[in-house]
Amino acid sequence: MTRREILRAQLLLAGAVLALWELLPRIGWIDPVFVPPPSRVLEALVHLWGLGLLGEHTRLSLGRALGGFGVAVVIGPLLGLALGGWFPRLRQALEPLMEFFSQANPVVLFHVVLLFFGIGESAKVFLIAWLCIWPIAFAAIAGVANVDPELLRAARAFRLSRPALFVRVVVPAALPSIFTALRLAAGQSFIMLIAAEMMGASSGLGWLVVQSQESYHAPRIFAAAGLISGLALVTDRILLVLEARLIRWRPPLDEGRVLLAGGAER
Amino acid sequence: MSRAPSLEAPAQRATTAPRLRAAALRCSGILGFAVLWELASRLRWIDPTFAPALSTVVVTIGRLIASGALLTHICISAGRALAGLALGLLIAVPAGLVLARWTPRARLVLDPFLRVLSQVNPFSLMPVFLLFFGSGELVKITTVGWVAIWPILFYTLTAITTVDPILLKTGRSMALSERELVLRVILPASVPTLFVGLRIAAGLVFFMLIAAEMLGTNGGLGWLVHNSAMNYQIPGIYAGSLLVTLLGFGLHRGLIALERHLSPRAGAALPTVPGARRPAAVAGPAPRPSASAVPTPSRWSAVAEQEST
Repeated sequence: MTRREILRAQLLLAGAVLALWELLPRIGWIDPVFVPPPSRVLEALVHLWGLGLLGEHTRLSLGRALGGFGVAVVIGPLLGLALGGWFPRLRQALEPLMEFFSQANPVVLFHVVLLFFGIGESAKVFLIAWLCIWPIAFAAIAGVANVDPELLRAARAFRLSRPALFVRVVVPAALPSIFTALRLAAGQSFIMLIAAEMMGASSGLGWLVVQSQESYHAPRIFAAAGLISGLALVTDRILLVLEARLIRWRPPLDEGRVLLAGGAER
Repeated sequence: MSRAPSLEAPAQRATTAPRLRAAALRCSGILGFAVLWELASRLRWIDPTFAPALSTVVVTIGRLIASGALLTHICISAGRALAGLALGLLIAVPAGLVLARWTPRARLVLDPFLRVLSQVNPFSLMPVFLLFFGSGELVKITTVGWVAIWPILFYTLTAITTVDPILLKTGRSMALSERELVLRVILPASVPTLFVGLRIAAGLVFFMLIAAEMLGTNGGLGWLVHNSAMNYQIPGIYAGSLLVTLLGFGLHRGLIALERHLSPRAGAALPTVPGARRPAAVAGPAPRPSASAVPTPSRWSAVAEQEST
């Protein structure tokens, strides 16, 4: 099957699914109250946009997600690189604690965090940052631990000083693994964002979903859910492009290795 | 798949100290955190009404255990989680097998659709499921099952497409029928990889379940935390959170141990693993030591695999 054939089949399938989705509720085989046809969803999307609600909530949600993610992007790699490359003993001491923290379900932490931060923006940002920091830090540690020993030997043969070794060999070698974790964290941050907004917020896309649910407005639920998924996909794409730009030397992907690493390393 | 044992990263070589000391070092972080927590509250560095001391929290947990309430909630949560996982397994493994083995074209065509679906935020799906299934047990199980499907499906696809070709050829040369080939070669060879997917799914299920229970049920661990919060029982919040975290931690560790047991690849030098996923005949550069020696937080790894298939 050539690429074009695949693409054609995909377009056909997408068209068929959309057509069915449009048709079935219309002829009443599926209750349109539960599953509104795509045209109605689109209508709701446009309507919300027209009210100015959509732009506002999207902006608020994105702000929270980016805030938390941004904190994690700064702290996570620094923590991981420092522990992985600089303080091996400290890493041994802290790794179980970090693993413990990473298992601390942020949804459960929500109430604890509320006690400290109140119900404002900072609680949401903190939760998203908390969720994102650990995978990034672990990926950085793993990335440092997996630096090709040949490279290290070569660098030592060139008598690179320790800082130079760190900056020019270890960090670039750990970067691919960090980037993978960044993409995972970005995806997770969206999930957490919506959860936090559903549990305690009066704005944002998650709130919009809950709000529409409480008023039984199914097209809006679908519209908001679609928008959230779309945002997550776009974010992932952006990070993918960024990764390709930043990491040009990456060896060709070896599927075997991906699997051996349990999917955490590429 | 030759992997020299000497390829350990230098950072890890520092751990040749006696085992006991290493173990003490590993525990020191968690112990330090516990002591700090206790002290911070006892010495009133932080307000003990908002952050009760660890001992208070442990006493609360003890009381929950003694009253038998905890066991009930854990059973409720575990039942839901298992049902969701079973749902995911029942859908994803056969689907993965069919797509990867018998309909490779459909797999190519469906791939982007599956990826988009897997990206759909489970929280935003919950209201949709609510519309379909009412607010009973079924919603929780389907939400959790939905979360479980994707990692299992993607790992099944990879597992089956990367079964060692030599095994397949050997099987075929022994005139195995397709059915026998699947049952006796492909599925057993896929188990280690499939289990990675299952582990990731279990982590996600646990995460999602607690969230779902907090958003509306009666009963279950998530509800326990939520209920304490609603009644301003602050030690109860901490007790529930600590319990959920401990359970998650235990689940994660247990599944990793089980996974190592199933696929002895995490050790240093392993010539050929049964069902090696890397074609042994292809003599490429030796793979770097895998990251599996480092416990990577599993529930985050789902997407990485999806992207790389």
